[in-house]
Amino acid sequence: MTAYVVGRTSEIPPGGRKLVEVGGRSIGVFNIEGTFHALRNACPHQGAPLCLGSIQGTAEESRPGEYRWGREGRILRCPWHGWEFDITTGRSVFNPHRTRVRQYRLTVESRGESPQDPTVETYEVTVDDGVVVLHV
Amino acid sequence: MDVQEARESRLTVERRSGIVDVDVHPVPRSADEIRAYLPMPWRDRYQGERRSFFNNPVHGSRLDSVPPGGGVKGSDPDFLREQLIDSYGVAYAILISRTFCNIHPDPDYAAAIAAAFNEWLAETWLGDYNHDGAFKGSITVAQQDPLRAVAEIERWAEHPHMVQVTMDSGARAPFGQRLYYPIYEACERHGLPLSIHPGTEGMGINHQPTPGYPTHYIEWHCSMSLSFQAHLVSLLTEGVFERFPGLRIVLVECGVAWLAPLMWRLDAYWKALRSEIPWVRKPPSEYLRDHLRLGTQPLERPDEDRHFLALMEMVDAEHLLMFSSDYPHWDFDSPARAFPKLPDALRDAIFGGNARALYELDG
Repeated sequence: MTAYVVGRTSEIPPGGRKLVEVGGRSIGVFNIEGTFHALRNACPHQGAPLCLGSIQGTAEESRPGEYRWGREGRILRCPWHGWEFDITTGRSVFNPHRTRVRQYRLTVESRGESPQDPTVETYEVTVDDGVVVLHV
Repeated sequence: MDVQEARESRLTVERRSGIVDVDVHPVPRSADEIRAYLPMPWRDRYQGERRSFFNNPVHGSRLDSVPPGGGVKGSDPDFLREQLIDSYGVAYAILISRTFCNIHPDPDYAAAIAAAFNEWLAETWLGDYNHDGAFKGSITVAQQDPLRAVAEIERWAEHPHMVQVTMDSGARAPFGQRLYYPIYEACERHGLPLSIHPGTEGMGINHQPTPGYPTHYIEWHCSMSLSFQAHLVSLLTEGVFERFPGLRIVLVECGVAWLAPLMWRLDAYWKALRSEIPWVRKPPSEYLRDHLRLGTQPLERPDEDRHFLALMEMVDAEHLLMFSSDYPHWDFDSPARAFPKLPDALRDAIFGGNARALYELDG
């Protein structure tokens, strides 16, 4: 497993995202309420650039005629066919057990310390600004 | 031959060996682009009307089809080349304008919109944007006034890049009925296939294919293939292909899986009821190879690929199917991912061979 610096945490504010190319893979890094998540930028359906999709909530399962809006800001919708994925789990809304998008591990190295993983390139950080590190 | 010409010539040769996509939508940059081709009084009236209900609640076109410089999705030919032609090795994109002309009660307005889109298409996508010859076009007709439609066909039939006529499946009467025959006669006379495209079912003057209006977009969208089934049964039972033995019909954006059981059913009824329609001289399904082709999108995909391959055999895919992507719309089928692995001969037929033969793309 190799570690890659995605960028400073301040580059990806809550609700934001950043696309990176690492090891020949396109990966989307998302900040959901202060926690970072990384997903493969390819929809498991037909390979669309999933991480370019819209970020929103979803109408959760409900009784006929009722609407229950949930997971606001956590649902990534594929830009082609509109399949919905929970960014925090990589799991689809319509079939969370079987249809998922690959997730990658992320760590945040904070407060100017050296990254825990020595393979990470040097990256200058300030006291208030950490770096987001992707482990692929 | 200078370098540029040589390069283009090489590109053309390469493209001729690629995929043919029979349902690609060229999009005007704005309603003004079309308005410029409309005479008065229509120029002032036209606002780029589309259907006003049953729009996709999520998004109607691929979100990544916005041109890099901004603007309307699908409106930049260079970006379309990048995302479709170059990404997948598409040799020819058969362009179908989405004019929505057949929703209007006024047949003159409808015909004017169709004519303006045809002029726009000829000048832009089939003209200025077509340096490599990758774009082939469709002559849009409004079926409200079939004689006006015939005049529009006559106007464009000899255009080198117009390869077919197109009209919408949204209609007031099934397509086997006699009012449409002038259109079929003109298509046959000019050797132009007639492509039928959905999207105006239940809009304006057109009937829904359902008994009454559906409630949701998903219901409306899924039911659009019902109107194609009704049109096909009508074409076959009314004897349209006996009357116009040279007519070829292309059904696009209606999927393909329904064809097999519908034909089994119709063939079975024909055995009992052929005397009601004595001009149908053979089992209806036997007219398909000579007269019908289907675009593949939106392709049905059973969970098991072996079921899909069996389905391909049941729908005579090797003779009837032509790949279509519907770029840039939301239900785009990727040439690389929509199908499971196919036997080579079947793949070649679907991804190019059948369309090359139908549209005589190899000259």
